[in-house]
Amino acid sequence: MLNNTSNLSPSKQLAMNYFRVAIVLFGAQLLFGLIIGLQFLYPSFLYNFLDFSVGRMVHINALVVWMLYAMIGSVYLMLPDETGIEHPVAIGLGKLAFWVLTAAVTVVVLVYLFIQVGPGKESTIWLINEGREYLEAPRWADIGIVVVVLIFYANVFFTYMKGKKTGIMTVMVADLMALAGLYLAGMFFTDNISMDQYWWWWVIHLWVEATWEVFVGALAAYGLIRVINAKREIVEMWLWIEVLMLFGSGILGLGHHYFWIGTPEYWWEIGALFSSLEPVPLVAMFVHVLYDWGKEQGQHQAEGKGSSIKNGPTMAWISINAFGNFLGAGIWGFFHTLPQVNIYTHGSQFTAAHGHLAFFGAYATILIGMMYLGIQDAYGLKRLKATFKSKMAIFLITFGVLGMTVALTIAGYEQVLVERAELGAGWQAFFTAQNLPWYVQAQVWREIMGVVTFVGFVYLVWDLLTIGKVQAKAEQA
Amino acid sequence: MAGKKASVWTSISFWRRSAAWVTGFATILLIWLTFDTMAQIRMGTDKELQEGVKRRIPAPTVINYKIDYKYDEKRGLEAPVIGPEKQPLFGKELSPKEAAALLHLGKLTSQAKNCMDCHTLLGNGAYYAPDLTKAWLDPMWEKTMPAMTGKKTKEEAMVEFLMHPDKYPTHARMMPNLGITEQEAKGLVAFLKHMSSIDTNGYPRGFSKTIKEFQTGGTYAK
Amino acid sequence: MNFHMFEQCTDITCNSFFAWLNQGPLTLTIFLHTVIILPMIWIYFSEKKKLERGE
Ligand code: HEM
Ligand code: HEM
Ligand SMILES: [Fe+2]
Repeated sequence: MLNNTSNLSPSKQLAMNYFRVAIVLFGAQLLFGLIIGLQFLYPSFLYNFLDFSVGRMVHINALVVWMLYAMIGSVYLMLPDETGIEHPVAIGLGKLAFWVLTAAVTVVVLVYLFIQVGPGKESTIWLINEGREYLEAPRWADIGIVVVVLIFYANVFFTYMKGKKTGIMTVMVADLMALAGLYLAGMFFTDNISMDQYWWWWVIHLWVEATWEVFVGALAAYGLIRVINAKREIVEMWLWIEVLMLFGSGILGLGHHYFWIGTPEYWWEIGALFSSLEPVPLVAMFVHVLYDWGKEQGQHQAEGKGSSIKNGPTMAWISINAFGNFLGAGIWGFFHTLPQVNIYTHGSQFTAAHGHLAFFGAYATILIGMMYLGIQDAYGLKRLKATFKSKMAIFLITFGVLGMTVALTIAGYEQVLVERAELGAGWQAFFTAQNLPWYVQAQVWREIMGVVTFVGFVYLVWDLLTIGKVQAKAEQA
Repeated sequence: MAGKKASVWTSISFWRRSAAWVTGFATILLIWLTFDTMAQIRMGTDKELQEGVKRRIPAPTVINYKIDYKYDEKRGLEAPVIGPEKQPLFGKELSPKEAAALLHLGKLTSQAKNCMDCHTLLGNGAYYAPDLTKAWLDPMWEKTMPAMTGKKTKEEAMVEFLMHPDKYPTHARMMPNLGITEQEAKGLVAFLKHMSSIDTNGYPRGFSKTIKEFQTGGTYAK
Repeated sequence: MNFHMFEQCTDITCNSFFAWLNQGPLTLTIFLHTVIILPMIWIYFSEKKKLERGE
């Protein structure tokens, strides 16, 4: 992944750059996750030095940013294949944008780590951090991000207009516009905390449960065509069905965050039923991947050609994505999406369990898959086979995140029953639940499973760095 | 042409048009709902407070009043009860302007110090520390914390705690020292008191436990 | 016996279109789902006609 991208088209070279930074940030995310996970067990660890709030801010910001990097990378990867144009219209500007963004991200992280908090003044919001979960990035960086994203979007849009207009690319271009536009909803200050959170959810929810999901639908469609030669007409028809169901449920499903933040009671019904339907497209996506895979494989075998899969690791990660999306977002999301349940689970470890499995299952998986696709292109391989390291990465990361999710679900269950149902929330109720032996054990398991995840990540990086070279040699021989 | 037999269900054009319609219309509904909600969640006015008009998010001067959180027979959930008794913050009644300025400072400080990455506000944020939605009404501030900090009133105790949380541990897991000044701490107390007056449709549930809650089930129960 | 299925609006503000539709057993959300789904029937038949005309 580090070298030998010279035989790639400029667009794909840029994609690899985005992937490289993404994987570094993914590592940072996991490290800080382990630190804050440990603080649950040893609260004095790094107390008043690198407090939980700082570590958590880095953990979730690194998460969002590495995913955005990998998403931009994936788009640059598919752009030449879908449009038939190897030189995006403003590739030079695109490269510059990459370096500007990377410099800005570095500065933001350094400020988070070394300055951490500021006085209660507007200048803090502009320069240090905005103090709104996931959107902590200070205002100057927000504006920088908007500019960089505009450059990226212009590149994609005008290349699309110039080249072939496939269904996949049409969905992608429309979806990216909505995705970028939504960021603006999170860029203002208000004294009214309810108003604040109303718009905050526009960014968070309409990203992960609408625009990002459609993005993944388009990516999976592209991936299936590349990896198993799926038929474009079929894949694109599914994609439109997915768009219909994802946006149909996800946009008004936003209501499940408006149950308790000061917003009117009618959101109970809207949030409940629309968001309950959100799992339906996720099931459809799962079925779609398995169906296509089975069909292409069957044809291949009938023709006596063996495996239909041209990229083993990518196909594995796409399959885990299909299942993980359904499990983490669909099942774990549905668990707590009805107001009757959510009034007790809102803002508990249960939420954290869902957040982990959903982000991992729906996004981390397929984006890792795209990195392998990039490697296949970089080394011009006809076929990329999964190595022992690829398999270790797949197994350990997936098992680790599942383990963390189960542990957090148990912790959440304890918390909900004791802190919420029995003791009615409040300061003492909170700590009573936090100190229950079964809750504490669950937190220990979370940390153990976090380490398992991290070992898997080491295998992943190792594999990404070596798989291309080794198989290129083998293919030449 | 052979088109006669083709099924609409496998027609890309059918799904594309349906997707466009559903997405467009859901977006329009969301925008409409947003206008309706915006009108209901803008901050109220001082006049409305004086006249006892209920707002979901009361005016900043709500910090001049006594605030409670009680089971509401009609709504089947707990709702804030504001006044009519006054209970000025730090013993001094504030004008609408002063109250708004103090609330502004508090909200700004809550973001500058990143409270939300340990605590939840209105249930959103991190899960390392207690929910702050109704922190102003927490029983801990009635006796325990004033005694610990050696202060007479709960707002003074809150200020002292926020300025030096590392001096007043209640559990092994402690709040860090965030360099909060006295003025900022006062702003934060105003912010917390204001937040406790927001109508959250009964979240957190059972915060003010009464026998009644054990007799009721769903959100509409009487 | 009161099953609490139909409840008059108990919200703070009831003079809003959405609050008015919200009368208990999922009235509001079923209404919204219906108006979103129904026009798809029209799209269906319009597409069918197109296919039959062989477009
Ligand atoms: C890939 C898609 C999804 C991702 C990445 C995701 C992620 C998250 C995250 C991180 C949170 C916590 C936000 C916070 O920090 O406050 C959250 C909350 C929530 N999610 Fe999801 N989610 C996804 C899909 C879904 C789906 C499909 C549903 C419902 C069927 C759902 C239901 C909920 C609910 C109800 C909450 C609020 C929890 C609370 O009240 O504390 N999510 N989601
Ligand atoms: C080494 C493994 C990891 C550990 C030890 C870890 C630990 C943590 C901890 C302690 C929190 C704070 C929860 C709280 O506020 O109580 C957190 C939050 C979060 N983490 Fe991780 N994490 C890990 C990996 C991941 C991965 C792989 C993802 C997703 C791909 C992820 C996504 C998130 C999200 C979305 C949140 C915010 C959850 C919410 O607000 O509900 N983490 N993590
Ligand atoms: Fe959501």
